[in-house]
Amino acid sequence: MIRAVIAKDVWLLVRDRGALISLFALPLVFILVFGSIYRGGPDRERPRPVAIWSAAGDGRGAVIAAVLGASPGFVARPVGSAEDVRRAVADEDVVAGLVIPADLGAPIELVIDLAAPIQVRGPIEGALTAVVMRALGPAGSMPRIEARSPPDLAPPLPEASAFQVSVPANAVLFGFFLALTVAMTFATDRRTGAWRRLLAAPVSRRRALLAALVPYYLVGVAQLAFLFGTGALVFGMEIGGSLIALIALSLALVYCAVSLGLLFASIGGSERQLGGIGSVVLLVMGILGGCMVPRMIMPSVMQSIGLAVPHGWALDGYYEILVRQGAGLAEISPSIAALVGFGTAFAAIGAARFRFE
Amino acid sequence: MTDAAPAVRLRGVGKDYGARAAVGAIDLEIRRGECFALLGPNGAGKTTTISMVAGVVTPSRGQIEICGLDLQRDPYAAKARLGLVPQELALYEELSALQNLTYFGALYGLAGATLAQRIDEALDIVGLRDRAREPAKRYSGGMKRRLNIAAGLVHRPEVLVLDEPTVGVDPQSRNHIFATVRALRDAGTTVVYTTHHMEEVEALCDRVAIIDAGAIIASGTVGELVAQHTTHEIVIELGGDPQAIAAGLREACARGATQHESSTVRIVPTEGLATLIGAIEGTGAVIARIASRDATLEAAFLALTGHALRDAS
Repeated sequence: MIRAVIAKDVWLLVRDRGALISLFALPLVFILVFGSIYRGGPDRERPRPVAIWSAAGDGRGAVIAAVLGASPGFVARPVGSAEDVRRAVADEDVVAGLVIPADLGAPIELVIDLAAPIQVRGPIEGALTAVVMRALGPAGSMPRIEARSPPDLAPPLPEASAFQVSVPANAVLFGFFLALTVAMTFATDRRTGAWRRLLAAPVSRRRALLAALVPYYLVGVAQLAFLFGTGALVFGMEIGGSLIALIALSLALVYCAVSLGLLFASIGGSERQLGGIGSVVLLVMGILGGCMVPRMIMPSVMQSIGLAVPHGWALDGYYEILVRQGAGLAEISPSIAALVGFGTAFAAIGAARFRFE
Repeated sequence: MTDAAPAVRLRGVGKDYGARAAVGAIDLEIRRGECFALLGPNGAGKTTTISMVAGVVTPSRGQIEICGLDLQRDPYAAKARLGLVPQELALYEELSALQNLTYFGALYGLAGATLAQRIDEALDIVGLRDRAREPAKRYSGGMKRRLNIAAGLVHRPEVLVLDEPTVGVDPQSRNHIFATVRALRDAGTTVVYTTHHMEEVEALCDRVAIIDAGAIIASGTVGELVAQHTTHEIVIELGGDPQAIAAGLREACARGATQHESSTVRIVPTEGLATLIGAIEGTGAVIARIASRDATLEAAFLALTGHALRDAS
């Protein structure tokens, strides 16, 4: 009898793609993704560039560059002016910069994005301070170093709490799970015959499809309003930038999530299959996009891969709005454009593949 | 659209799935106010046919008219005249009957007082008004079936398509569904009823079309079909040892459309009775009893398709 039960369950399991993926593929995907994120720390093999400028004839720049070059993990990139250092940092061409002023009494400017999470910024600041100390300290008095954001970047909130990061990360991760709800609703309606009833009604198929999606758009908006509202009112999450920009980004995110749901629905399958496969896809997208580990502390390759999923763009936008003072629509327009672009692509493919009958 | 137009008219309607024709090319007319059955085994094409009539499935060929309105050219007006009751319980079980009917009524453009009135009417017809505010998940299987019918009725359609509405219901609920269908027909609603139960057709329907392998092979009243396709059937009860009975049954099956249960075989004879009896006795089986009885729709189905409905399904 036990043998028959085992045989039956094995037959069922090998036919259940969702369960197979959850049991066998999902752990492998997680191992691969998390392994890539944590492999030897960020970019162990590739030293990160630091822009450096000193006035002509000032030998301190060359000394610092030499010590920097000898330090593991950094490489000096001399530029033509102090402004070039600040621009390179603002454009994220380099992780930080050093401006050595001609006035020996003036502090050395450590140019770094002060809005970056302390987990990202702290080690770089510490390492560069140590480099400057080693280069200049023994020869004379201890140099003064001041960390500043590039003037092109809006300054960060004076005291950003951990909720500035955890609220958007989880809002993005779970906001995109709306896609699964959308797809499973279609699967349930097909199974129960409610979808046939909708098709038998005197409404166009396009309108029927739209009508099935719109409620989930509203649900998604309500979900994000609840999460950010709770974050602000209960957990003390601050909004450094514009509330309108936050709303616009959230609307774009929900559009993208609902469109992804249509794409999932167009692939078909039972509720169980969608639940298994869809949740894996969404979790992996969330990890790559930085919902579980901030993309900023990932290796540069993983940071780039993170922008291949909408989660990465959404999180970048939320960080701008929540952490930087005065960040508005202009600052997050790339994120909004990316979410709308992803959403439109998902919707177009989903609508083209969707089988009404 | 004219009142004289039939409730449903199909001209050369068929549906292909890839290279396979699920329905060939059906011609059919269903008159206004009648209860019309589409009878056939599972997989015969009944659901595909009514799905095309309801506008759920797009035909590969042919033309469909609902109350004189071309379903392809004027789909919304045509669909508004038709109500579909799918074979599945196409309901939202977490919602009450009232909420379900509000949703399905709104799909047909109903709102406000009109919708409320139509919901009351539909609930009265299926006898669920006193349970209207309970979630459907608390209903018995039969009550859910009745709510399923109410959802197809709420917009007061001229044509109601019921796809195997008695699947999985107890006898009491089945009788309730029968009473509902009769009441609707008496009120002038055209009822299109698919089933593979002969007795439902005989009990309810004015006319019937027999569908098999995607083609309508006969249509008419139950009386017409029986009269046209068979006059009587022979019931033979076999005796002897089990091996002889089995051999006798095999011989009987080989000699025409037959149906057998245990040691009794029913045959619509296609040859002389003496020849048939001789052949069965030749196997060693003993004929314990033989009787002739008036043919039924089941016998007509046997004669038309060459197989019993339950065998095919």
